[in-house]
Amino acid sequence: MKPTVGYLQVIWQILRKEVLIEWRGRQGVPVMLVFALMIVFLFNFALQLSPDLQAGLAAGLLWVSLAFASTLGLNRSINLERENNALDGLLMAPVDRSAIFFGKALGNFIFTFLVGLFLLPIFSLFYSQNMLQLPLLLVLLLGLGAYTSLGTLLSALSIQARTRDILLPVLLYPLALPVLIAAVEASQGVLSGQTLGAVSHWIYLLLAGFLIFTASGLLFFETILEE
Amino acid sequence: MSKKPNLLVLLDILCLVLLPAVVVLIVFFTPVEAVMGPVQKVFYFHMSAAWVGMLSFIFAAVAGGAYLVSRRIKWDWLSMSAIEVGMVFAVIAILSGMIWARPIWNTWWVWDPRLTTTAIMVLIYFAYFILRAGLTTPEAQARLGAVYAILAVVTVPLTFFSIRLFRTIHPVVIATGAGQGSAFNMTPRMLTALIASLLVFTILLADLIWHRFRLAQLQTDQDQEVH
Repeated sequence: MKPTVGYLQVIWQILRKEVLIEWRGRQGVPVMLVFALMIVFLFNFALQLSPDLQAGLAAGLLWVSLAFASTLGLNRSINLERENNALDGLLMAPVDRSAIFFGKALGNFIFTFLVGLFLLPIFSLFYSQNMLQLPLLLVLLLGLGAYTSLGTLLSALSIQARTRDILLPVLLYPLALPVLIAAVEASQGVLSGQTLGAVSHWIYLLLAGFLIFTASGLLFFETILEE
Repeated sequence: MSKKPNLLVLLDILCLVLLPAVVVLIVFFTPVEAVMGPVQKVFYFHMSAAWVGMLSFIFAAVAGGAYLVSRRIKWDWLSMSAIEVGMVFAVIAILSGMIWARPIWNTWWVWDPRLTTTAIMVLIYFAYFILRAGLTTPEAQARLGAVYAILAVVTVPLTFFSIRLFRTIHPVVIATGAGQGSAFNMTPRMLTALIASLLVFTILLADLIWHRFRLAQLQTDQDQEVH
């Protein structure tokens, strides 16, 4: 079937819908943010961190809290499509399904990145070091881009199972681990004063993860949502 | 019910003869390693199991791809069988590694990248079965299982990359460049035993996957007879 609207326009419309829902409900970003902060506090007590230990762990805590929190957003984003059979409506639209993937992935990325942006100044206060650095933002951009790309793909996979809500983290965390490791290592390097060039191998790994997972979305989203 | 193929019978016999033969080879033919002592001999089966596990997971992804292209359920049986058998070998690799590590590293487990990635790999494929269990139709199991098997295989080469990217204490057995000091030198007899062990394990892998495949086939035949 020949698409009636342009590819980019479909992506834009899906993204617009995602942002509109979030803006009117404000139930994604704030929930993720609060959840991420709770994890930070939980870890603080669970690991009984001393102040000098804390600073070195800031990068790791940032990514763990972001990784956990974003599964809430990913699950919510795909569950919204299940309500009132919105997904069937989306799939009936005579458009390329990979465009739907990009729209949703972009939406998920923006919300998670926003949470990250809120977390950075808070982390800077908690761990008394300036985390609002441009290189760290780049790591955040790439890392979350790869993570939410894979997450969006897997969320489409997991809603088809009976165990849908609990399935996503089980599928996502181990598969996303290389990206998370690279993100933590790159962030840690940047925070300890290294240049981006010094952590370039981690940046390349992030880039590779981003490209692989986005290409997988392009390739498999159609297959996943068949029927 | 279909008859057991002759080639499979031959493979069974081959495994039954060759597996004890390799054990004899390892116990009596190979020299005792000077520093590590007899416990080093676990290495032959350890590396064989790891190799066969990897091979199996790659094969599962290829079979998954073949399913997505051809949509013939036999490819899914093959893919699922390979993952199930590969899991067993990956677990054997980890457990035999732990037996070796206890006297050599003085601990059952270190958070070494290669160990950690292998453990993560087992978790990834464990999630594969959780995914399948949550899906209700054989078609969905096959389709989404294939996509997941392909996504998961991305982490197998990563296991290999990790040894270069992270600092690791895991011995590098197959040195690719000069100056890899941790590669221990094998005597010709050790190498012979290793190659024999790798070959026999590969035959065993084919045999086991085939058996598991036949089980899936018989199960489906049985289900169709009942309904």
